[in-house]
Amino acid sequence: MISERLKSTILKQLELEDYDIQDDTKANTVPGWDSLSHANVILAIEKEYNIRLKHIEVLKCKNIGDLQVLVDSKLS
Amino acid sequence: MEKYKNLWERWADNTRRFPDKDAIVHWKAGEEPFRWSFKNLFDTANKFSVLLQKQGIKRDQVCAIIIRHNPMFFPLYLGIAGLGAIPAVLAYPNPRLHPDKFKSGVEGMSQRSGLDWIFTERDLEPIISPLVTKEGSTIKGLHFPLEWDREFTLSREDSALLDSIRGSIVETDPVLLQHSSGTTGLQKPVLLSQRAVSDHVDNYAESINLTKEDKIVSWLPLYHDMGLIAAYHVPLAYGITSIQVDPFEWVLAPSLQFEALNAEKATICWLPNFAYNFMADRIEEDEMEDISLKSLRLVINCSEPVRNESHKKFVAAFQKYGFNPLALSASYAMAETTFAATQTTPGEPIFTLEVDRESLAQGKVVPPVPGKASRVCVSSGKVIKGCVVRIVDETGKELPENGVGEIIIQSVSMFDGYRNYPEKTAEVLKDGWYYSGDYGFKLNGELFVIGRKKDIIIVAGKNIYPEDVEDAVGAVEGILPGRVIAFGEEDPELGTEEISVVAETPYEDETEKKQLIQRVRMKGTSVDMTITNVYLVPPRWLIKSSAGKPSRKANKERIAEMKDLNKQ
Repeated sequence: MISERLKSTILKQLELEDYDIQDDTKANTVPGWDSLSHANVILAIEKEYNIRLKHIEVLKCKNIGDLQVLVDSKLS
Repeated sequence: MEKYKNLWERWADNTRRFPDKDAIVHWKAGEEPFRWSFKNLFDTANKFSVLLQKQGIKRDQVCAIIIRHNPMFFPLYLGIAGLGAIPAVLAYPNPRLHPDKFKSGVEGMSQRSGLDWIFTERDLEPIISPLVTKEGSTIKGLHFPLEWDREFTLSREDSALLDSIRGSIVETDPVLLQHSSGTTGLQKPVLLSQRAVSDHVDNYAESINLTKEDKIVSWLPLYHDMGLIAAYHVPLAYGITSIQVDPFEWVLAPSLQFEALNAEKATICWLPNFAYNFMADRIEEDEMEDISLKSLRLVINCSEPVRNESHKKFVAAFQKYGFNPLALSASYAMAETTFAATQTTPGEPIFTLEVDRESLAQGKVVPPVPGKASRVCVSSGKVIKGCVVRIVDETGKELPENGVGEIIIQSVSMFDGYRNYPEKTAEVLKDGWYYSGDYGFKLNGELFVIGRKKDIIIVAGKNIYPEDVEDAVGAVEGILPGRVIAFGEEDPELGTEEISVVAETPYEDETEKKQLIQRVRMKGTSVDMTITNVYLVPPRWLIKSSAGKPSRKANKERIAEMKDLNKQ
């Protein structure tokens, strides 16, 4: 399940008021999340959690649920 | 060396000799790779040939393929060739590309190349289908082959028909159409014969000491000759494995190529020069954990002038992960000669030569002069079997060693001319020689490529290579590495050209930008070049050519358009 913290980080970076983000939501279906803004979204997540996400780890995430799992794994 | 009547016969022979060997390993981030054995690949290609034939595809028709990284691309491509039709791979649109731009690019290609059919994905249907119905269009229809049912067995009649078609394909028949590098829509369609490609596989394989144990790893797009010929046709015809990484994924995470290489123990890859810098800059140390580059015996630099600094940077970044500096290699290649014309000797250091930059611009190769700017020229190797390379002056007269001039080539793998473009063919193909438009010189049998003839900037009679300006400006703090182009702009008052650069910077603050322009100009002065115009642009502004390099021509035009608009 997507945490409020991750969701709000993404929404803030994409300047979205609200958007329904679920485990199976794909990044390219979120308004404004394209290849241009992708790097900034990842950077914002890294800053928020004080973690480092490798390019290749992020690439392997098929949806935002995978991204949540990746973030959680870094925190543990 | 066995002689085959056509490439299909050669591929089929590999299927008999190595039925279970991996032909293609289709790599996708986070997924188990999809493996095509030679047998499975050709069985599926046969099915595609039957399906294509039933759709009305005929011999000699040009079949454009616009499909993103997908395992089915490979048998589809072979299935088209197996009908005597001509596959032509076109670029799948980059997500950032506006659909209208993509559409006009495909339209330009279809008019120039005379595309008969387009094989693509359903997602692109709304963009491409208007091109089919447009008046004067050569495109007969769109097909979505990824949706075709392949769960069937070839009938005896199907097999007989395919045998009969393949038996009638001779070595002078066309096997593929590839587009020379350039801005999409303006690329030149290069038609290659069965013999040109087959001979090139043999001659090039010999130059890189290819063995049956070698494995290729590549992220190169298949619409480019380096990807299509070096990383697909060569391994397929030679009977070795090619590991194919998605170019879009590679851009996001270049370490993906190393991951695939490490897992499959690949031995050879080709890279354009910019990729050396890109990989060294972008791949972080923690992405290299558990990755060994020891299996790599050749990393071949081609498609643009080879830069010594890029090689040094690559070695500095990756030697600690087992990369052998002697694996650095270089080749001079172009679509018109199928692929390579020269190649450095595998396992030996690349020959480099430091010369006086000003003399080089005047067409002379002389040692560096103390206190004056120099340039390190990197060899692209010796001429491969089946090719002859000469350096000629403006009148076409051959120059002696050390003389700088245009590189012209004769090759047994020469193209049959640009399709539907006789005037352009006549411009570059004279008496069996291909006039490359590249400048270079030869020394001790080695070819040194300096730059493009048409890109040379002439300032008050002095020749300036844009590569030299770009290298200098690219090193200035605040400029994004590799994101600079230089060109000449006419100064009507002075009656000569002045040096202009367009460079990407992350800076947004006007004061910072002013200081940066100052630094760029000072850098120019420090290497004896007066940079008159500095256009700073935001990241990703520069238009890239189909080869992925910032295009001098397209960006020069873009700047000119912007200046025109500002005047209005």
